[in-house]
Amino acid sequence: MDMLLLVVSYLVYALFCARLAFHALVWLRAENQLKVHTRTSADSLRIIAITVIDLIFFRKLFISSKMVWLGSWVFHISFFFVFLRHLRFFLEPVPGIVTLLQPVGKIAGYLLAASAAYLFVIRTAQGIRHYVSRSNLFIIALVFVISASGVLMNGFFSPDLVVIKEFMLGILTANPADAPENIIFLVHFLAFLVLIPFLPFHVFTAPAITFESVRREENLFLVMHDKK
Amino acid sequence: MTKNKHSSFTKGLTRQQLIEIDTCTQCGECIRNCPVQEVTGDPSVSPPEKIRMFREFIKATEGLKARLFGTEQIDRQLLEDFTKAVFECTTCGACSKACTVGIDTQRLWPMLRREMVTKGLGPIGPQAEMPEAIAETGNPYRKPSLDRFRTWFPEHIEVSDKAETGYYAGCTGAYEAQPMVRGDVLVLNAIGAPFTMLSHEKEVCCGFPLFITGQHDMLSGLVNDLVEAYKAKGVKTLVCSCPCCVNIMARDWPLFYKKDLPFRIRHITQHVNDALQHQKIRFRKTVPERLIYHDPCYLSRGVGIIEEPRDILKSIPGAELLEFDRNRLDSRCCGAGGAARKVFHENAIKMGRLTIAEAVRKKADRLILSCPACYAKVNEAMKDYPEKILITDIMELMSEVVERVNT
Repeated sequence: MDMLLLVVSYLVYALFCARLAFHALVWLRAENQLKVHTRTSADSLRIIAITVIDLIFFRKLFISSKMVWLGSWVFHISFFFVFLRHLRFFLEPVPGIVTLLQPVGKIAGYLLAASAAYLFVIRTAQGIRHYVSRSNLFIIALVFVISASGVLMNGFFSPDLVVIKEFMLGILTANPADAPENIIFLVHFLAFLVLIPFLPFHVFTAPAITFESVRREENLFLVMHDKK
Repeated sequence: MTKNKHSSFTKGLTRQQLIEIDTCTQCGECIRNCPVQEVTGDPSVSPPEKIRMFREFIKATEGLKARLFGTEQIDRQLLEDFTKAVFECTTCGACSKACTVGIDTQRLWPMLRREMVTKGLGPIGPQAEMPEAIAETGNPYRKPSLDRFRTWFPEHIEVSDKAETGYYAGCTGAYEAQPMVRGDVLVLNAIGAPFTMLSHEKEVCCGFPLFITGQHDMLSGLVNDLVEAYKAKGVKTLVCSCPCCVNIMARDWPLFYKKDLPFRIRHITQHVNDALQHQKIRFRKTVPERLIYHDPCYLSRGVGIIEEPRDILKSIPGAELLEFDRNRLDSRCCGAGGAARKVFHENAIKMGRLTIAEAVRKKADRLILSCPACYAKVNEAMKDYPEKILITDIMELMSEVVERVNT
């Protein structure tokens, strides 16, 4: 069982890396250089500042739909803090900042489950007048399973954290350790393995595209005007 | 359903566009702004669905599985559905403005159209006849070249052989929105500075209809001939009123000409607003009316001309300027864009009627447009429609109320 989990983990990781590499290959092989002709202003600090605000606060989603923004923003921010909280299982010694963030990460775990459920309900309830992406619903449902099982372990079925850490470090160092004998953990871990291949690419590419979009909007005036 | 093997779907796309396709979060928020969605309610032609389908094409031809085990066959029906969806779009770019990650869809859709053209699946209907029509007559409507100026150009106005200011009328204005281009010329004449034009044989299509429908083969030749012709006439500023022409001139002519243009491009509202500010023209009568101005997609979201038309309208004595609920960068397409109006006629009529209905609801006396395609289609949309409003192009109105300041 331990070896099986190890093999599956590596397979999932390899598949994810291969998927990422093939996408990058497609990007790198782009031949067309028919780019939009724009003059650019020198105010790159302003562009960076707007990009950072857009990325942290989901400004455009806020403008579009407050209801979706609430769920989506809490979902992504919680995911980020939950990710930071989980670093304690992969790093030895655990950095001070990760230790410091544990209480925040714990609250974020609850919020992640709640926001995933909220997003699933409102996305489903939006009905035919709105676009509902089945892949998005699948990912949200998967994150709900992961976060809800995390919450269950945290509040009700606490596994042995030392065993979990040994297991995770064993995977990282290709030195398999016993898997925790906690069914909730296994659900949690396997659901995460399922999630990895389905991780949407915007997680990696949105910063670059948002930056380009802000740059384009900020320079739009210069297409037909001499100066601002 | 038959199945076909296909080669790469990414050859015509830039690196940024390929990353944009991967970046779409499929959130669907853009649908709230999509005019095609507004009149069809069909999510299968929505922006996120188009991107989802195109991802399938890339995956089937260049994905991990395709690389390891060979290119997959793509369902012919899916290819046809995508082609219809991407050509049904008006390319207004409202989805780009609403996009939560900022994908430049106003640029992406024409490039995806081009991919389908290279696969022999697009363009659709009369769009396919445009290259031949332009080669034969100089315009995409296959109208006689001789009629390009003859039916609307004011006889008393003199056009210089050479001048620093050039005027390009454009095909849609010349053949489908003559009051607009006639207004342009009357106002240019009122300003007083000499201006030049190409002959009816030499002023050919700017290339926008070909660009927007993904048929790029003739573009370099068209652009090169036009640029060289204006250069030979000593033009330093080329003035045009059509937002689509202005868009391709400012953004893409340098790319197809392969260097910076030897003149600058100005939209006519910029030129006229300057003339008003420099007191070269003045108002000779008042217009005690409530005017509502519609932002053409390719003028506002396309090249950022937003305030000049408003400045002109606000300066008209007696006029009150109203705004649509969605205005400036958020404006709603009137239905005429993206060369879709001749193919998906019913959609365009419905969109045009939404514009008319809102203008009437806001109790405007006159709907002011500044795009020949909007002008032609919104006028057409008003036929057999109970809501009525006076539709006027901004330069058509100006030509009736301004006169030269004699210095």
